[in-house]
Amino acid sequence: MDELEILRKLGRAHAPPGFEQRVMAQLSLRKRSTRERRRAFGLSLAGAFASLLAVLVLLNVFVLQKKTPLGLADNERGYYPALGIGSKPTSEQTIPVIETLDYAAEIRSRSAEPGVIYLLEQVSDTAIKEIKY
Amino acid sequence: MDEHELMRQVQEGNEMAFGQIITAYKDRIVNYLYQFTGDYQKAVELSQETFIRVYFKANHYRPIAPLSSWIYAIATNLARTEMKKARRASLVSLDDLTTHEFQDNAYATDPPDSGLIKNLREALNSLHPRYRLPVILKDMEGFSQEEIAEILKKPVGTIKARISRGRHFLKKRLEKALDGGRLSA
Repeated sequence: MDELEILRKLGRAHAPPGFEQRVMAQLSLRKRSTRERRRAFGLSLAGAFASLLAVLVLLNVFVLQKKTPLGLADNERGYYPALGIGSKPTSEQTIPVIETLDYAAEIRSRSAEPGVIYLLEQVSDTAIKEIKY
Repeated sequence: MDEHELMRQVQEGNEMAFGQIITAYKDRIVNYLYQFTGDYQKAVELSQETFIRVYFKANHYRPIAPLSSWIYAIATNLARTEMKKARRASLVSLDDLTTHEFQDNAYATDPPDSGLIKNLREALNSLHPRYRLPVILKDMEGFSQEEIAEILKKPVGTIKARISRGRHFLKKRLEKALDGGRLSA
């Protein structure tokens, strides 16, 4: 018995009618779904980036400490971080300096000198320590 | 137009060229998958999927091997994966029974003979895919051993041994069927 001969005689299956059309229909369906998947992926990626950006902005505004250029300069010099302009110092940050001065005597002693003009000027924005007289 | 040129056009997205490839290979691929799975409907579904993959993976094709080997390799991988899935599914459900019923009702392609053909098909289906695939590719699809080695990604020596053992198993099965008086021819 030549079983291989019989093997060759085993009926051959053929593709059903309309096979090409079915493959083409499947193909266009897959192409469309691939396009949609890519678009959805792009949109979700853009959304993720936008959310991340929003989170970073919010963190920067509400959580992270704000520093002025002068504050940063003080940091570099090793000073205690300065507060921003206009912010109120807390009681721990305020060193009360109480000094008794007799302005009348001061003026009197100075009056003998030729006309001297004293200018009281704040020389640094970061000088936040209140001086109480 | 030769096959490499057709594939080059498919790589550029030409669906007409793709249609020509389907027309040239549809019967061979359906038959191959039918002989492998023993289920005509499944074979047709897998063939459709094979051609879809040919289109989407066209850029991976290199014209160093015949196009037929490449398409058969895709079909083989798909069929193997499908059979593994089916085997796993049958382990956890009672679908096995319905699969056999479905196979019995499958598209009849064999001549309306004959115990011999029926026994031969049973013997072929009972072969382990490791032997069935090389035997089908060699004795039914007419590939050379080198081409089969290319399709199945195995050394030529392994393919030779598997064809030889597959044929031997097939012969034994048929002789057993003859001895059992089940073959009338």
